[in-house]
Amino acid sequence: MGALSLISTVTFTTLDWFWVITFLALMIFSGALFYRLGKRSESDFFLAGRGLPWWLPASSVYATHTATDTPMWVTGVIYKHGLAGIWYTFFSAWCAVSAFVSTRIFRRSLAYTQAEWNTLRFGGLPAELLRGWMAGWQVFMNMFILGWVGMAMGKVCHYAFGWPPWIGLTVFSSACAFYVLSAGYWGVVMADFQQGVIAFCVILIVSFWGIFAAGGPAEIVAKLGEMGQSWRLNPFHFTGLFTGDFPFAWFFTMLFIAILGGLGMGTSIDWYPEAQRIQSARTVRDASYCIWWGTLLGMIRNALWAAAIIGFFVLFPHIAHQKDYELGWYRIGFEFLPAGMVGFFFAAILAIHLSTVSTHLNLGALYFTRDLYQHYFRPRAPEKEILWVGRIATLVLLLGSFFYGMMMERITQWLIFALWLMAAGIWLPNVLQVLWWRFNGWGYLSSWIANLGLSWFVVWILPHQLGLPEGHWFRQDYTQFWVLMALGALVFLPVTFLTKPEKMDHLVKYYVMSRPLGWWGPVHREAVKRGLLPSKEARS
Amino acid sequence: MTWIRRTWTPAEADDWTKEDVITMAASTLAYITLTIGFALSCFLLWYGFLTLAAGIVLTVFMHWVIDPKLKVISSEYEAQQKKYLLELEKKLRWEED
Repeated sequence: MGALSLISTVTFTTLDWFWVITFLALMIFSGALFYRLGKRSESDFFLAGRGLPWWLPASSVYATHTATDTPMWVTGVIYKHGLAGIWYTFFSAWCAVSAFVSTRIFRRSLAYTQAEWNTLRFGGLPAELLRGWMAGWQVFMNMFILGWVGMAMGKVCHYAFGWPPWIGLTVFSSACAFYVLSAGYWGVVMADFQQGVIAFCVILIVSFWGIFAAGGPAEIVAKLGEMGQSWRLNPFHFTGLFTGDFPFAWFFTMLFIAILGGLGMGTSIDWYPEAQRIQSARTVRDASYCIWWGTLLGMIRNALWAAAIIGFFVLFPHIAHQKDYELGWYRIGFEFLPAGMVGFFFAAILAIHLSTVSTHLNLGALYFTRDLYQHYFRPRAPEKEILWVGRIATLVLLLGSFFYGMMMERITQWLIFALWLMAAGIWLPNVLQVLWWRFNGWGYLSSWIANLGLSWFVVWILPHQLGLPEGHWFRQDYTQFWVLMALGALVFLPVTFLTKPEKMDHLVKYYVMSRPLGWWGPVHREAVKRGLLPSKEARS
Repeated sequence: MTWIRRTWTPAEADDWTKEDVITMAASTLAYITLTIGFALSCFLLWYGFLTLAAGIVLTVFMHWVIDPKLKVISSEYEAQQKKYLLELEKKLRWEED
């Protein structure tokens, strides 16, 4: 919580407080308005009845991934690396491919969650083990993300008002829980639409305000030239092929992970909330467009922030520590907007915060309710009971997130490691499970287990044992990605080939429903043989 | 552009074809050019506007290629959806493998 050393001199006028209270009331009220729709069924509480036009879940994709910590993170990388830092945000480009591949396949499966999809794609014991593991892990991850973004809100409130961080952490998330508890996903997606519009407008206003506070576009370009910092406008300014803190090798690895990751499912942490939006879209076409346009809006937002932060750099070029410059975009809003507009800005920060919190409250509750409680404990539970379990799970997630948020400083390093676990060694299995019929549940399960041990070994133990200094090539995250991918394959490929393929009945059923891309020849031929798909001759 | 197909039967639309590959490539390039182009356009740089324009053209092209196929896939799939949803609920309740 390094940023806690910064406290601004923001003073709120009556007009500022009017904006904040009005927005908060409007957001909560509009979400709660959908109480009647949310309580109709499990499908309504968690997927808005699978009937949304593409632009509604698209706004939710955008709003969810605009969190209170996002501008801090973008500010950090742009201030440090110039416009080239925007590639750090390009991990979300997996949606460029996913929107037309894995989104299409997943929407056709109709699975509520990725955990449920495991039991459609795989069969028997490994599928059930995977479903239970993934559901538990997602409940934990959603609680962690809630704690993380809640603490970011605590930082912002401390910076703006000098409040202790726990106030920002608890008060606004609790307000958000009100409409998530009452209306479920209907409340989330309707409030997200409103919050997304408000947030985008304010990001536009504040960012251009920052650019003009720095003298305007032409002046920024000229000043960067005078300062010998023109490289900051070059998005391809790398420090070498393998050397420096921004090498081309990192860029290549990132593009590889992001773009080809779209062929798979779960190759990005963002897949899990996106999966819920995909299933809430009314058709396959709506699902594809909601992912594509929602992500594009996020990228345009990043571009706006990047431009504003380059302006911020021109204004404050000598900030040495990340903890000081990561609040740059917030400083533009709080320090440069005129009185009466600051409250509007803070209301937009609330919109940004609430949209993320609401998604993760509902998503974590979905995994608990559908994949743990209903599937393993009460398979025949009536709808009313399921809805109440969903609400109780939402409340437990909220309280758990306060706990995580308060201890975040101590556990951050370990949890970033947990995120790394997920991204590296199971990246390839996440792609193969979609593309390759022979990849089975034991293979996928073994990749998760192996990755757990291998990641510890590669990221922590080996560099320590060999005494490798910081900056050594083996300690670079992009190197470790490739090493983990190769080592993981040495485990899951033998396991896959030494165990039986999934039963053909199971695979045919999945194939006919989902029509996956890739190497599915034997399954396709079997489906044609059984008369479930037309043969080439019949088509012609 | 006769090499890009824009009329589909439901069975043909379910197959993965070159139109899907073209869409993936155009979509990725559109993301890159729109993001970088927008950021550079904020500084009124001519190459920023050019990149942004390329991104808009790619986006329109991508939709032109894939939209007819997606429409057919969606209408065909919706007819089957109710049956699949029943199977999903049976699986959830351990009534079906």
